[in-house]
Amino acid sequence: MNPLILTIILMTVFLGTMIVMASSHWLMIWIGFEMNLLAIIPILMKKYNPRAMEASTKYFLTQATASMLLMMAIIINLMHSGQWTITKVFNPTASIIMTLALAMKLGLTPFHFWVPEVTQGISLTSGLILLTWQKLAPMSILYQISPSINLNILLTMAVLSILVGGWGGLNQTQLRKIMAYSSIAHMGWMTAILVYNPTLTMLNMLIYIMMTLTMFMLFIHSSSTTTLSLSHTWNKAPLITTLILITLLSMGGLPPLSGFMPKWMIIQELTKNSSIILPTLMAIMALLNLYFYTRLTYSTSLTMFPSTNNMKMKWQFETKQITLLPPLIIASSLLLPLTPMLSILD
Amino acid sequence: MLKIIIPTIMLMPLTWLSKKNMIWINTTTYSLLISLISLSLLNQPNNNSLNFSLMFFSDPLSAPLLVLTTWLLPLMLMASQHHLSKEPLIRKKLYITMLAMLQTFLIMTFTATELISFYILFEATLVPTLIIITRWGNQTERLNAGLYFLFYTLVGSLPLLVALISIQNLTGSLNFLLIQYWNQALPDSWSNIFLWLACMMAFMVKMPLYGLHLWLPKAHVEAPIAGSMVLAAILLKLGGYGMLRITMMLNPQTNFMAYPFLMLSLWGMIMTSSICLRQTDLKSLIAYSSVSHMALVIVAVLIQTPWSYMGATALMIAHGLTSSMLFCLANSNYERTHSRTMILARGLQTLLPLMAAWWLLASLTNLALPPSINLIGELFVVMSSFSWSNITIILMGANITITALYSLYMLITTQRGKYTHHINSIKPSFTRENALMALHMTPLLLLSLNPKIILGFTY
Repeated sequence: MNPLILTIILMTVFLGTMIVMASSHWLMIWIGFEMNLLAIIPILMKKYNPRAMEASTKYFLTQATASMLLMMAIIINLMHSGQWTITKVFNPTASIIMTLALAMKLGLTPFHFWVPEVTQGISLTSGLILLTWQKLAPMSILYQISPSINLNILLTMAVLSILVGGWGGLNQTQLRKIMAYSSIAHMGWMTAILVYNPTLTMLNMLIYIMMTLTMFMLFIHSSSTTTLSLSHTWNKAPLITTLILITLLSMGGLPPLSGFMPKWMIIQELTKNSSIILPTLMAIMALLNLYFYTRLTYSTSLTMFPSTNNMKMKWQFETKQITLLPPLIIASSLLLPLTPMLSILD
Repeated sequence: MLKIIIPTIMLMPLTWLSKKNMIWINTTTYSLLISLISLSLLNQPNNNSLNFSLMFFSDPLSAPLLVLTTWLLPLMLMASQHHLSKEPLIRKKLYITMLAMLQTFLIMTFTATELISFYILFEATLVPTLIIITRWGNQTERLNAGLYFLFYTLVGSLPLLVALISIQNLTGSLNFLLIQYWNQALPDSWSNIFLWLACMMAFMVKMPLYGLHLWLPKAHVEAPIAGSMVLAAILLKLGGYGMLRITMMLNPQTNFMAYPFLMLSLWGMIMTSSICLRQTDLKSLIAYSSVSHMALVIVAVLIQTPWSYMGATALMIAHGLTSSMLFCLANSNYERTHSRTMILARGLQTLLPLMAAWWLLASLTNLALPPSINLIGELFVVMSSFSWSNITIILMGANITITALYSLYMLITTQRGKYTHHINSIKPSFTRENALMALHMTPLLLLSLNPKIILGFTY
């Protein structure tokens, strides 16, 4: 794509999210979402093949529906409160519709069906933008309306998302689908704590974005989209295998890596609010996620898959530049001792 | 405490910066020096704990376990030299780094004051162990073994996290030094029963309890020698240590909640000892014998009398040294014949007489011969369980007999009789191996002269 056009489109995506996050008028928020959606469609279709077209069509349809639901909720809110300012949502119906709309945008169960298919159909870089940047805008709206969200609906969606994210990823070998199901599960964790302590939602979002960024950067570096091609990295860039191991275990939430921090804080916050069974259930279901991450590490770092003799002589293409990988690795594995610094997120 | 933790952390840069011919020498020497420093912790002057800081403390229960942990690292490094000799330098350094990382986490676990910090470090020990088992194990089954190990422990310990946080809400602090003075009876309710279960299951899986022990034979058999040593000697004791610490807060539910686990342990120790009699795989035999000994520790911890606590602590230390030594002996066989089948290498006494002496001593301590500390541990446990209920003497007596049976079976099969004809060209014992066995046996025998240092905090 022409670099100038690409810049303009990426800037529009960026601007769309910024408008969503910075506005206090509901209409501007909706405009921001639409701007974001329209600008990201060409990004998703960078590789012009039918799979990508199908993926971007699905994405457009679900996000547009969600935006319309959001608009309906905004209008109901306007009807009952007479003003467009985003403070709290004044009507329970509007709140429910808004929650469902934002859940559709995020990919929470039962609206998760688009996430694996869209992520699989697009290139790795577009998938990166889809799974990290696109989550920021809906999450910021959820954060702002968090006092008025119906707890039952949100918790049901959260727990179901963790379940679906865990079980759905078990049968996958395609890396993009694995990352998609991991995103569904992490969104579940984030929304579970939203009503009790939204700061932890932000913390989880931050750590999740760092870990997902790291994973995608590592995949882009080795140009691998399947488990099989990932298992060849020991041959070409052995250090990447160790980094993949550490980051995957961090995503699974194993102490002492930083992926444990959001889970620990969320469990702590939920327990303080006297729900004991819920965090236990969530924690045990997160182990399903850990299973397929561990399986991925088995094929990548912890065993050496047999390879043909001319693997080593394979033509070494120019090394792809990975931006910011060292700080990202540190951030996604070593942040656990910094947990007391949580208060800066308030 | 930092005088032990920082040198252990610095073992990692030491390996990466050492020259090719100095890695083993450097790391073994410095880890031996660290273990000598840790011996100073055994000096527990008063009847309470040595508080080093807000975060670390050591008391008569954790000091012997700590000394055992630091003593084992040089032994693990010595034992791993042979099977790593053909690997490239970076992989050797990675292996030693994994061992040093595991050691750091273990030291911090045994001295942690705050129970959540104990939990995080308890879980953190899983990662290096998983990497050691799956990356450096020898058979295909090691992948399955790693998964079983990881998931059994995690499913048991995630409820522990929730339980610890809810206890923190209840009492305001999880600092162990405060909790031991809290001494309030836990109210009788269904949720407190689940709290008890949540707290104990993690340690039951780790010990392991008889019904949840499936990960142990897999993990012990598939791990390389250092992995087997650290698993058998230390990681199982993490479970015992955790149980000893956490039962302090769980009265009076323990009076009735302990019954199912006591029954499982009492029956399990007989079952696993009997399975040992039918094993063909040497490492598997030693693994099941670990389950049997640890079942005794579970019985001791759950009946909660002063003598049983003394027995549990002594048994943990004694079993750590003994089973680690047995794994080293099995490994010396494995390195020569590349098979773990017991009957494949028989009659070794004729070929390797000094090693036969070590086999004899190890088997004798495994069957708890007087005056070794194994006997002191087992005797205290048997006596206290007899005072808890007279009938247990039958089961305990049967267990001691069967333990003697399989230990002698192992000894006689590998050492006595005519040697198999295909092993008469095996290499003689290395000095390194003899030194390894001596370094295992010497503390074990010397401790029988002064067992009070390993008798724990109820002495």
